Formats: sequence, structure tokens, C-alpha cells
Amino acid sequence: MTLRPEDPHPTAQEAGAADGESASPRCDSFRTPRDARFLRRFNVWMVAAALAYLGATAALRWRASIPAVLPAALVALAALLSIQAVRAYLTFLRGADELLRRIQTEALALGFASGAVTSLLYPLLEGFGAPRLGAQATTVVMMLAWSLGSWLGTRRYSGSDGA
Amino acid sequence: MARHPALLRERRRLRNRLRLLRAERGWSQAELAQRLGVSRQTVNAIETGRYDPSLPLAFALARLFERTIEELFEPDGAA
Repeated sequence: MTLRPEDPHPTAQEAGAADGESASPRCDSFRTPRDARFLRRFNVWMVAAALAYLGATAALRWRASIPAVLPAALVALAALLSIQAVRAYLTFLRGADELLRRIQTEALALGFASGAVTSLLYPLLEGFGAPRLGAQATTVVMMLAWSLGSWLGTRRYSGSDGA
Repeated sequence: MARHPALLRERRRLRNRLRLLRAERGWSQAELAQRLGVSRQTVNAIETGRYDPSLPLAFALARLFERTIEELFEPDGAA
């Protein structure tokens, strides 16, 4: 289709067709190089914190057969690494591309709301015979909802129907 | 409290002519994104009307294309 210069507002589809570019290409291009760098840093801290958490859990389970200082040291290490991971995420979020920041903020809101609703309502369901869940279940729900929110946000802002 | 109808109208998505101006300069979305310091998907989402830019980004776009913000964006459905 030929663009008409006199038309002040061609639709994106018209202009996209004119310059041979898809109006809504779906690809992994939501991150600037800076975002990718900060996200890698966050991932490193997250993996380290997760490993420390697993180590601390194991050490607490076998605390009778290992030096007493080891479980305490691993718990402290897990806490420190988790704090570092949170700091790295905040750094990433503050410096992120504005669309990515919006997607992440909406995903965090979904994660927080899902966790809050689960922690408040699930105990009521337990009263009706639902299986008892551990304390970490809410965290798992929050993380899953956060991931789902990120995926939904990515879809929303890269869809092809303009909705 | 009910919102004023004019405010509701303003909250509609913005139409813009970024794609046209970008095409006139022969820039790809990636190139424009690099000039603005944002991701390519941000440029794409603005062009397709899925995302309204922040005020600083709107000013950056206006400066880059040497237009006013009003020349780049207008509320969808505006006369």
C-alpha cells in the first residue's frame, strides 16, 4: 500500500505494510542491552540465593551430624544473598526500559495479589477439607503468578490486534 | 465519584504518526529505539497504539523528529 503524505495519521498497519515491516513482530526485543545486563546480574544472585537456601534446608535437616555453626552460617548466607537478589531486582526495575518496567510492575501486582488472596482464602478452604499446604505455598503461588503476569504482559504489548 | 466525560475521552489511546515519520527518515524500529535508549518493542508498542509513552519519552520523540508533541500524538477519535 502506498502512503499518502497528506494523510496525517495513517494507521500503523498501513504504514507497516508500506515500509515492509510487520506491524507487530513478536520477538524477544523487550530488553535493552542495559536491561539484559541487570537481569543477568539479578539471575546470578537469585541462583546463588536458591542454592544457599537449599543448602541451609539440608543443613538444618542433618544438623545433628554436622558442626552446629554450619546451619547458622548457611541460613545467614541465604538471607544475605536473598537481600542482594532483591537489591539487584530493584536496580534492574528502576533502570529498565519503560515498557518493560510497566510489564514487570503489572506482573508483580498480579503476583502480590495472588499471594495475598491465596494466603487469606486458602485457610478457609482447608476448613472444608482442602489439603493442608506448607508455609511456602503462598510464595510458590506468588512466583507463578509473577511469571504468568510477565508472560501475559509480553503478549499484551506485542499482540497483533491492537487491543 | 463519576469522572468527567472529557477526562474519559482523554484516557483513550493516542493515535500517532511515528511510523510515518520514521519511514520518512528510513530508520528501522531498532534504530529509532537505539536513538531513544528504549527497546525495539517499546517503539513497536507505541507505533501500534498499545502503549502510550511517558512524558519524557514523548518529549524525546518530539525533539528527535523536530515536531511538537501535539504533532506526533493526538487522542484517538479526536476531531
